[in-house]
Amino acid sequence: MKKINELQAEEKSVLTKMFWNSHKVFHNFNMTKMEANGFTMTMSPAIESIYKDDPEAKKEAYVRHQAFFNTHAVAMNYIAGMAYALEKDYYAGKIPESTINAVKASLMGPTAGMFDSLFFNCLRVIAAGVGIGLCASGNIIGSILFILIYGVTQSVCKYYLTVLGYTSGTEFIDKVYNSGLMSIATRCVSILGLLMVGAMTATTVSFPLNWTINVGDTSVVFLDLLDAVYPGIMSVVLVLLMMYLIKKGKRPSFLVFCILLLGLIGAFLGIF
Amino acid sequence: MTLSSALVCAFVYWLMRYLDNTTGWDAMARPIVVAPVVGLVLGDFKTGIIMGASLEAIFMGISAIGGAIPADALSGTVIAVAYAIGAGSEGAMETGLALAMSIGTLMSSISSMFTPLWAGLAPWWEKEAAECNPVKFSALNWIMEGVRGLPQTVVIFLGVAYGVSGLQTFLNVCPGWVMTGLRAAGSMMTAVGFGILLSMIWSKEIAVFYFVGFILSKSLGLSSLGIAVIGACVAITIFFVEKHALEYGQRQKEGASEADVKENNDEEEFF
Repeated sequence: MKKINELQAEEKSVLTKMFWNSHKVFHNFNMTKMEANGFTMTMSPAIESIYKDDPEAKKEAYVRHQAFFNTHAVAMNYIAGMAYALEKDYYAGKIPESTINAVKASLMGPTAGMFDSLFFNCLRVIAAGVGIGLCASGNIIGSILFILIYGVTQSVCKYYLTVLGYTSGTEFIDKVYNSGLMSIATRCVSILGLLMVGAMTATTVSFPLNWTINVGDTSVVFLDLLDAVYPGIMSVVLVLLMMYLIKKGKRPSFLVFCILLLGLIGAFLGIF
Repeated sequence: MTLSSALVCAFVYWLMRYLDNTTGWDAMARPIVVAPVVGLVLGDFKTGIIMGASLEAIFMGISAIGGAIPADALSGTVIAVAYAIGAGSEGAMETGLALAMSIGTLMSSISSMFTPLWAGLAPWWEKEAAECNPVKFSALNWIMEGVRGLPQTVVIFLGVAYGVSGLQTFLNVCPGWVMTGLRAAGSMMTAVGFGILLSMIWSKEIAVFYFVGFILSKSLGLSSLGIAVIGACVAITIFFVEKHALEYGQRQKEGASEADVKENNDEEEFF
């Protein structure tokens, strides 16, 4: 495994260009080849550098990277860095052409799952939790923090993963995948995600009961009864009920419609 | 809404969509970023920011299901905030929140009508890539990415220009309980998003932390940043504890197998 500071100037400049281009991963995303265009643009500095004297091989390389490609946006950088190293090996005659797309294809699935659970399901929730807390009181810092925590972090990871992909080859991902460290990391970030969802349930979900039962001379405010159990308990019940229904396979749009209907019927009957 | 504010809203939609796909972060088209921008251009920054918080909570879980997006957060946000600021009356914000999801669902189905068209361009892209002209290929991508957002942008323009005032007139003639019901639904709507999120990260071993988070916020009144710091400490500690346990387990296993080998050798010598 090569060290980062052992890279030559040209390699460094190619990797930096790849890093900048990789932000366009979703440019012209389509259902036929998904991120193929983004991958081609990410690879183009590498292709131009390796095949500068060989137009025929260059054309083949461009077509090669137009193949179907889809993974998480950050994981793509790792695979692109690796593809750069593989293209070099292929040009030097060390590996057959088919290896390149085979490696790409084999890494799409595992990396997508890994990075989705880290970035999309966890880091995004944490960033949104922090942002929502500030924005709810009208503070724009919340939005900026959201972009910094969720967005800019991805760019930083993208840079290091491009270099790591180029220097380590498949070694790194195999190690992480087989060591069991990934599942521990996912679980730990999920803990943070659960905490944030719990906190956001407290601040943003409300069950606006406005129901008073008159028993003889005394009137009972129903919400007070529930809040006596624990303040805001109905929010938790509502969220857990939604989770149960989602796990049962109910569609989110169906649940949204149900809640809209519940609100209207409840208001008509005077419960809300 | 005046035509000029509708035009501005449509441009914000187009621009945020473009920024989102050009950064690849999936962050720029989120309600928490878009709503303040819409608020800013329509002259009510504060409403934009506050609605951004609620809309982010509503849409948080929604876009996370599989490949197909059931409701488009970006268009739902633009129209909901435009409605709240345009109507300006009391309760307009809550009504906007309640309707955002339905608007997003509608826009998502409009977008999906164009999916086959963009998918059909794939062979053309391959031909362009084969020309070995990275500058031209990149320029075409920049242009086409902008073109791809145009159909929805036109729908947003029409929706804000004519739909918002129509919606306003309609809701004004409705009896009072309709508004109350919409408001109640808006405040419960976030539960769906959180339900989806929870269903993805929920596991028996760590589920207790959901309740801890709720209590930290509800009863102790901690800010979300404070809770994030506490959570990070817990998560980092557990990570290292489990990492050591994992390494210890592996060492044990290696040690055991080495010992087995030794034992076997001893036995052979003995016999």
